[in-house]
Order: sequence, then C-alpha cells, then structure tokens
Amino acid sequence: MALFAIFQTTFFLTLLSLRTYQSEVLAERLPLTPVSLKVSTNSTRQSLHLQWTVHNLPYHQELKMVFQIQISRIETSNVIWVGNYSTTVKWNQVLHWSWESELPLECATHFVRIKSVVDDAKFPEPNFWSNWSSWEEVSVQDSTGQDILFVFPKDKLVEEGTNVTICYVSRNIQNNVSCYLEGKQIHGEQLDPHVTAFNLNSVPFIRNKGTNIYCEASQGNVSEGMKGIVLFVSKVLEEPKDFSCETEDFKTLHCTWDPGTDTALGWSKQPSQSYTLFESFSGEKKLCTHKNWCNWQITQDSQETYNFTLIAENYLRKRSVNILFNLTHRVYLMNPFSVNFENVNATNAIMTWKVHSMRNNFTYLCQIELHGEGKMMQYNVSVKVNGEYFLSELEPATEYMARVRCADASHFWKWSEWSGQNFTTLEAAPSEAPDVWRIVNLEPGNHTVTLFWKPLSKLHANGKILFYNVVVENLDKPSRSELHSIPAPANSTKLILDRCSYQICVTANNSVGASPASVIVISADPENKEVEEERIAGTEGGFSLSWKPQPGDVIGYVVDWCDHTQDVLGDFQWKNVGPNTTSTVISTDAFRPGVRYDFRIYGLSTKRIACLLEKKTGYSQELAPSDNPHVLVDTLTSHSFTLSWKDYSTESQPGFIQGYHVYLKSKARQCHPRFEKAVLSDGSECCKYKIDNPEEKALIVDNLKPESFYEFFITPFTSAGEGPSATFTKVTTPDEHSSMLIHILLPMVFCVLLIMVMCYLKSQWIKETCYPDIPDPYKSSILSLIKFKENPHLIIMNVSDCIPDAIEVVSKPEGTKIQFLGTRKSLTETELTKPNYLYLLPTEKNHSGPGPCICFENLTYNQAASDSGSCGHVPVSPKAPSMLGLMTSPENVLKALEKNYINSLGEIPAGETSLNYVSQLASPMFGDKDSLPTNPVEPPHCSEYKMQMAVSLRLALPPPTENSSLSSITLLDPGEHYC
Amino acid sequence: MLACLCTVLWHLPAVPALNRTGDPGPGPSIQKTYDLTRYLEHQLRSLAGTYLNYLGPPFNEPDFNPPRLGAETLPRATVDLEVWRSLNDKLRLTQNYEAYSHLLCYLRGLNRQAATAELRRSLAHFCTSLQGLLGSIAGVMAALGYPLPQPLPGTEPTWTPGPAHSDFLQKMDDFWLLKELQTWLWRSAKDFNRLKKKMQPPAAAVTLHLGAHGF
Repeated sequence: MALFAIFQTTFFLTLLSLRTYQSEVLAERLPLTPVSLKVSTNSTRQSLHLQWTVHNLPYHQELKMVFQIQISRIETSNVIWVGNYSTTVKWNQVLHWSWESELPLECATHFVRIKSVVDDAKFPEPNFWSNWSSWEEVSVQDSTGQDILFVFPKDKLVEEGTNVTICYVSRNIQNNVSCYLEGKQIHGEQLDPHVTAFNLNSVPFIRNKGTNIYCEASQGNVSEGMKGIVLFVSKVLEEPKDFSCETEDFKTLHCTWDPGTDTALGWSKQPSQSYTLFESFSGEKKLCTHKNWCNWQITQDSQETYNFTLIAENYLRKRSVNILFNLTHRVYLMNPFSVNFENVNATNAIMTWKVHSMRNNFTYLCQIELHGEGKMMQYNVSVKVNGEYFLSELEPATEYMARVRCADASHFWKWSEWSGQNFTTLEAAPSEAPDVWRIVNLEPGNHTVTLFWKPLSKLHANGKILFYNVVVENLDKPSRSELHSIPAPANSTKLILDRCSYQICVTANNSVGASPASVIVISADPENKEVEEERIAGTEGGFSLSWKPQPGDVIGYVVDWCDHTQDVLGDFQWKNVGPNTTSTVISTDAFRPGVRYDFRIYGLSTKRIACLLEKKTGYSQELAPSDNPHVLVDTLTSHSFTLSWKDYSTESQPGFIQGYHVYLKSKARQCHPRFEKAVLSDGSECCKYKIDNPEEKALIVDNLKPESFYEFFITPFTSAGEGPSATFTKVTTPDEHSSMLIHILLPMVFCVLLIMVMCYLKSQWIKETCYPDIPDPYKSSILSLIKFKENPHLIIMNVSDCIPDAIEVVSKPEGTKIQFLGTRKSLTETELTKPNYLYLLPTEKNHSGPGPCICFENLTYNQAASDSGSCGHVPVSPKAPSMLGLMTSPENVLKALEKNYINSLGEIPAGETSLNYVSQLASPMFGDKDSLPTNPVEPPHCSEYKMQMAVSLRLALPPPTENSSLSSITLLDPGEHYC
Repeated sequence: MLACLCTVLWHLPAVPALNRTGDPGPGPSIQKTYDLTRYLEHQLRSLAGTYLNYLGPPFNEPDFNPPRLGAETLPRATVDLEVWRSLNDKLRLTQNYEAYSHLLCYLRGLNRQAATAELRRSLAHFCTSLQGLLGSIAGVMAALGYPLPQPLPGTEPTWTPGPAHSDFLQKMDDFWLLKELQTWLWRSAKDFNRLKKKMQPPAAAVTLHLGAHGF
C-alpha cells in the first residue's frame, strides 16, 4: 500500500512537473503572437500589403512559423478569405505579405487579422495557435468630392482572358444606376445598398484604345450623373518563335525571331513588348531596338560556344527562349562571287567561282544548278576558296543558266544565296536527217514533185538551220546532179522532172555543217493504180488507220493526209510508220470537227520508192449539215409536184450526208403514203419522208388534192443530225379543170389563128364578097362631066329640085371668136351682137317619111369643126327662138362661158367657126363619136352623101348649167332635128 | 498660345484683305472665311466619324449625349439666342477667334494621342485647315479695324496628358472637343454669313489701320 502511495505520489509529482514544464513552454511561446499588424493598400494593383512582427523571439534564433490570415469584407463577420503563410522568422524581423483583391478596394472596406503557430522541429508537438490579432480595417477613400457616382477600378490594365470585377459606388440609394459595357447593359451583384459589383469573365481584346464601361445614375428619367472607366485589355504576350543566330563573317552574330502579336495599347498604356538578348557565358545583355532581329558583336575570338536567351517583356508578362550553339556550326556564308564559264564549246564548259574566305583551312560544300531546255541538273562539289566544275553532256547551241551556292562543309548550317550566270554552248552540225515526203502530180511528159520537210527539232538542229540542200540525181541517165539550195525557214519546194527515175537527197545545214541526207526515189513509172477510197470514222482522239501490208520488202510506211476542202500545200501532213506496223493512230490537235480529212497510205520499198496502198477519208467528228439544199418545184399539177435539189453538194459538208428528210405539211390530217408523222421542234405536226440515198436529189410528191395548200422542207442529215431548221416552202396545187381548159383553149387559139391567117391570105376575096368599096363621089364620072363643062361652081343638083323644109340664114358679125368642141368646147364672145336669124320651118311636122331633100354642099367646109365629130351636132329646134331669148342675154352667155368653157378659149381663131356644117350621119348625141347612139335616128335616103347644114353658134352653146352635156340634150326634140 | 499667335501673325500677310492695294473692302475676305468654314464643317464630319469609332462605344453611337463631364476649359459654342443677337460684329469675331485658338491647341493634343497613322494624318490636315481659318478671321478683323484679342496671362489653353484625367474622361474630352468644334463651325458659318450680308451694300471702303494695330 505504501508502495502504491509512493508510486501515486511519484506519478502526481511527475505529472505536476510535466504540467509545470508545459506551462513554462506555453509561457515562453505565448509572446510569439503577431503584433504591430499594419495594412497598406495598392489601389492600382488592388492589393493589401500586411506587415507585422513577432515579439519575444529568442535572440539570434530562427523559428519556423505558420501565420494564418483572415480577411473580411464590408464587416468583420463576412470573412472572404483565409490562408496560411509559412516562413522562418528571425529575431526582430518585420514580416511582409500581400493579398490581391478581385474587387476594387475602393468599393468596400476590408478587415484583416492574423494568428500564428510555431512549426519548428526544435519544438515538438503539440503546438498551439496564438490568439487572433485585432481586426485591422482597410478602406480606400477615393469616393470624394461632390460626385454621386463612382466606378472602379480606374483604367485597369489586364491581359486578355482574365476575369475582372468592376464595381460602382452610388451615394444616393434612391438613384437607379445602369451600367454598360461597350454600349450593352450589364447586370451585377449588389454588395450593399451603395455598392454593386460586376464580374466580367475572360475579357476579350477589343481595341488598343481600351474597352469602355460606364454607369449612369438616374431618378425617373432624369440623369443624375455618369461615370465611366476604360478597361485596357492587352493581348497575351507570345513566346518568340524561330529564334536563331548565325554569322557570316565571325564578327557579328545576327539573331532573328518571329515576334508574334504586338501587345501595344493606345495612350501609351502599354508600349510594344521589348526584346532583350542575354548571353549567359559572357553575362552580357543587349536591349534590341528591332522587334524581330538583333545583332550581337563577337568580341572574343576564343569564345566558341554561346548561350543566348531572348526575353520578350511587356507590363504584364515576360517570356523567354533559349539557344545554345557553337559559333562554327552557325556559319551562313555570303553568296559566291566571280562566277565565270571557260572553254565553252558545243557540249561542255568549265564553270568557276570564288567563295568568301572565312577562316583558314575551311572547306566549303557548293551546289551547282544547271537550267536549260526545261531541265534542271544539280551537282555538289567540295571546294576550298576557288571553285571549279566541268559541265559536260550539254546540248549544242543552247542557252544555259548555271548558279552556285555554298555552305560550310564540316558543319552544315544553311546554304548561302545563289550566284549565277547564263552561257550558251556553240553550234554543231545537225544530227539527224530531215523528215521528207512528197506529192507527185503527173503532167503530160513530166512529174511535178512537191517536196515537203519538217523542220528539225532543236535537239537535232544543233543550231540555227540556215538552208536546205536538195540534190536531184537521175537514176536512168548518167547526168550531173542538180543542187537546189532553199533558204530556211522554207519547208517545201517544187521540182519538175521528166519521166525518169530520180533520187532526191535533202539535207539541213547550219553554220557548222550539213545533216545526214534524207533520200526519196521518184519512180519513172508513176503511181497510176486506182485505189478505192474508204470511209473511216474518226474520234476526238484522232483517226485509227490500218492497212494491208505491202507484198515484198518494205522499209516502212507513210501515211499522209490533208484537209479535204483546202489547198493541199497548206495543210499537208504525214507520218512515218515502221515496216512491221500496219496500223497507226493519227492524233493531232489540228483535227477540227466537221472537217473532212483524206488519208493516203504508202509503202516504201527498199529502193525508197513509194507505192500508194490505200485511201481513206473521214471526219474526226461529224457535224450536222450546215446548210439545206435549194429546192426547186417542178411539174406542178393538181395532184403532184416534183421537188429537186440537184445542185446540192454532198462532198463539202461537215459530215457524210446519209440522206434527206422531206417534211410536208398539209391541211389533211392523214399523211400521204410513204410519209410518216413527225413532230417538229416547235411542236407542230407534219409528215416526214426519209430518203436514204444521198445522191437521190429529187422527189415526186403525189396523191395531192387540187387547189390545196402544201408546205415542204427538205434537210439533209448526217450521223450527227439534220441540217438547220428553216422555213417551209409553200406550194398550192392548181385547179383540176384548169388543165382541161388549157387542153381546150390551146387548140381553139390555134384554130382561130389559123383562120385569121387564112382570112388574111384571102382578104381580097372576102372584101369583095362581104363589103365591096363605096364609090367615091370625087372619083365619079360626074366630076369629069363638070370639069368638061368648065363650070366654076360645083353644083351637083339644082336647088329647084329640092323642096326645103327650112332655110336658116345667119349673118355673122365680125370679131366673134368661137370655139365649139362638143361638150367641152368653149366659146368666147368679145362682143355679141344680136344676130339675125331666119328660120325656114318645115311645113309638115312629120318629115320622117321619105321625101325629097335639099342640101347645100359648102365647099368652105370647116375641117376642124367637122373633125370635132358629132359633138358639134346640135339640132335645130323649133323652140329655138324662145331659147334664144334666154341665151341672147350677153351676161348669161358670158357667165355660161366663164363657168363652163373658159378653159378652151382661143383654140379656134375668130371668124373660122362662124358656120359649122354637121354631118347628118353623125350621132345626135354629144360625146364620143364612137359611142353608139341611144336613140338611133333613121338616116334619110340620101344619107350616103354628106349632108351639111349651118348651125348657129348660139344654139350650139350649151346652157349655163354645170352639166352642159345633159343641158344640151334637153334641147333636143327628137324627130325635129333633121333638115 | 504664343505659338498659335505667331502662326496667325505669320499667316496674316496671306490674307487677301491685307494685301490689296486697291481697297475692295472686307467683302471678299469674309466670303473666303465663310467658304473655309463650310469646308471645315464638311471635313470635320468625316474626321469625327473616324475618331469616335476609334474611341469605341458609346462615343460613336449617334444618340450618345452625355453630360458635359470635364472639358470645362473648352470654349462653349452654345449661347442664348438673345445674347447672341445682342453681340456686335467685333464681339462675335473676337469670340470666334478666341474659340478657334483654344480648340486648335486641344486638337493638336488629340493628334499626339492618336494611335493610327491614318488618323494622325487626318488630324494634322484638319489642324492646318483650322489654322487657316484662324488666319482668315484675323484678316477679317483687321480689315474691319478690330484689334486681335490678347491672351490673358495664365489662361493659355494647354493640353495636359496628366494622370489627373481618367482615360474615360479623356475620351469624353475628345468627344466634347469634336462636338464643340462642330457647333462652333456651324455658328461661325452663320456669323460670317450675317457679316457678309451686312457688308454687301456698297459701303465706303474700309481702310486698314495697320499702323494702329501695330503692324
């Protein structure tokens, strides 16, 4: 028990001592509480800067401690951040720590407190936290002045993509505040009644003049104030790319890089990023003035290795890249110089050049490029300072361009720039015989040989061809050869040879010499073999030709061709084919669609004599005919007509004419036999007839209806289609009877003509039979009797033998001028005197019966008046006096004259028409003397003699009416106007 | 300011009204000043569009009409109509002259801040034209016998790129500078038109009192 008591006492004592020790330690550590906490602010950086000390640290003793810091916003209970800060604390040390606020410090009051704990191995666990320091209040008072609204942070510079918080402080909570970012309203979080914060996530770069944010306070619609800030957003500084340094003279290192985006901002808010070059071995630094290159002076010859760091820097960020290199491995040579060519001949040349010397015993690798004839050759050569290279296998007379570049052979870094020169090789004799062919035309007594040759290719010409020599040698007769020299660039010549065999040699010549000769033999026996022409079909790729091999030995075949329609010399082509080949494809871009080409295939014998084997003709592409035939319509009858187009040439068409399509339109719905229905391109229906023979150029269209309207159209067709559409030609079949009429009328006309001829031949007989001559009184025997009696007065009958019905005596005053020409005759009286008339009126009214008649024959017969015909026939009316009274008024007459006859004044001289004698045989009607009288008057018995009577001019005058003719007729009294 | 004045004096011999020996009166120089004002109005329209776009929204928005924050030192073109009518020719010309002297100095500050080369060219061209207008106004005043206003000591307009101004207020100042320029040019066009009409009737030739003004 005592042992237990001792143990218990010992335990308690130990425990007590432990507690005492612990309390001593604690007593020692309690003074380690942070003290003298001071908080300052950096408004631009939005940071709180804390500084404090730890008292009672042992002298010259270091202690690891952990400080816990608590930050509250607006009020102490609103803790927004808690964090630990570990550090080694020395005696009497002032500790510093910073914290950056996302919210501008101007917008809210912040509170800070701190506590600490020892975290050192020298002090074993357990450690206890000190008490909190008292809260330190931090407030940035920028909201001064009379303004009612403030926006923060002012003109902040941030990097693109960062999150930014802005806030406003409104002094009057009654105000309604709206905020806008680049003109668009933004919404925030109200921190207290006066403060609202806006979180802008990942702000973009908009312009280097900054992003505008402004807030406007208003009450109702009245603006109370406006405040704004500019947020400068910088682009992210990029790491320089492709950084490298090199030297070309071991004196200067030229460093280059790609700077990337320029991060400069307006208003000098941030200048462009700067670049600094730092060399770590020498410890030298250089600020580069250019943004993408910098020169570094090599001062120490001994320094072979360089370690460069390129540092790009702006206000927000720093970026760097590093390169480590040996100077001799970064040699960029200057381009070679003095490039020359020596011993240039037709096929080779020596190229020489020099390299800028760098250091002794330097070996350079040089690369030579030779460009010529569209080809490029490359050669590498190792040289010291003077380079030389033998260029061989060159083409004669060819311009080449050779260039060279060099690099350090031991440590290749990069090639220098090129240095080059042009040179031209000399000419050589042409290496190949020209390709020659001929056309032989047989003429009486001789051959006309047209020789063609193709110009040598540049590869074979070996220079400029100056002329072609053509040597003609007669193989049949020993004679001197003829030499024809034809200057280039001619490619043909014409030779006229007699009917002997000739060998023709053609050589091409340049300034150096002649080519091998091309030999052709013209046989004395011409190629008179008739060869059938075969039609072939071409394709877009050309013509595929095949032929039967020539019997016997051949050295080859020649196919020549030309445009079917054009001049032979203009478009003549040929192709040589080997002796074992009997087919070829002629393909050339010169073949045009719609053009016919004629091919001839020759076999060349071992004696070089050509023999025509086959003829072929065809189109590379057949086209539809370009024109339609001109169609004539023959033998048009009421039931048929014939169409013919004989002059249509089928040979000169853009395709082989296979036939013709005849289109016929008629009113009848049914097509004629042989025709079939077809629909035209315009949708109309018609009948179609196909002629399959291109040489059949006529068609009889029958079974037509008389007097019907038909339309036809004829177009040729090839394998490519029909000719162009054109208008239909119209044909109308004639009446069925018209032909009959012709059959009848023609004989009738013939008969009439026959009768007329016969009548003419027998006219004398007919005249005598049908109408014998009327005896002429002047030729009567009585005239001879009168003459015999020598009576000056021509009296045929005695007056006493006649019983006159009436005698009219007219005394005509002088100076009267009268025209009397029927209804259109005019009369003018300059002075009308009253004439004296004496009428001898018949005693019997009916005088139409046969009775004795007395007439005067006046030998002063006025021929003019008589010739006026019956128009002047005015019968004497018994009512003439009364009418005379009406007409005798000078005024009336004058008016009538003026009205109706004024146009005929002066046609007959005065005094000659005072008396008119009118034949009683003439018609009583006014008007045309040929017109038949409507009221024929029986002629008196003596009518076969010309009876004459004097007619008063006054009576002859028509009344002053518009229709003088009718008026004159009204004066007539039928049956009373005969004498 | 002294530089401005020197420039004006330098340009004065180029003013036609001062060079004529045969005295045509101030009419032609007023007409030329009026024409130059209208040309500047036109020129400013394109320049302001470019510059305000460069500042960004809301400054380039057509209906942006902010309260006149800052820019207190800018001469105001707006004036009460009655007051304006009551001004005589001399006062009007003096106000125009003073206003453009101030505006020109601010405009040169604007030119220094412009970031793009094209904008700097446009601003420099406009400054030269405005300098010409100032010279023309001086010529008209001289032709009419009015003395040029003397700058009061300590009131020279200066462009201060100091940190006192926030960037937003700086932008606002630029906005107001362009707006005031526009209003001044409009007002000047009316002033010179009015003066031109007034001088149109055949009046006695105005002789230049060069000696009296110290030329």
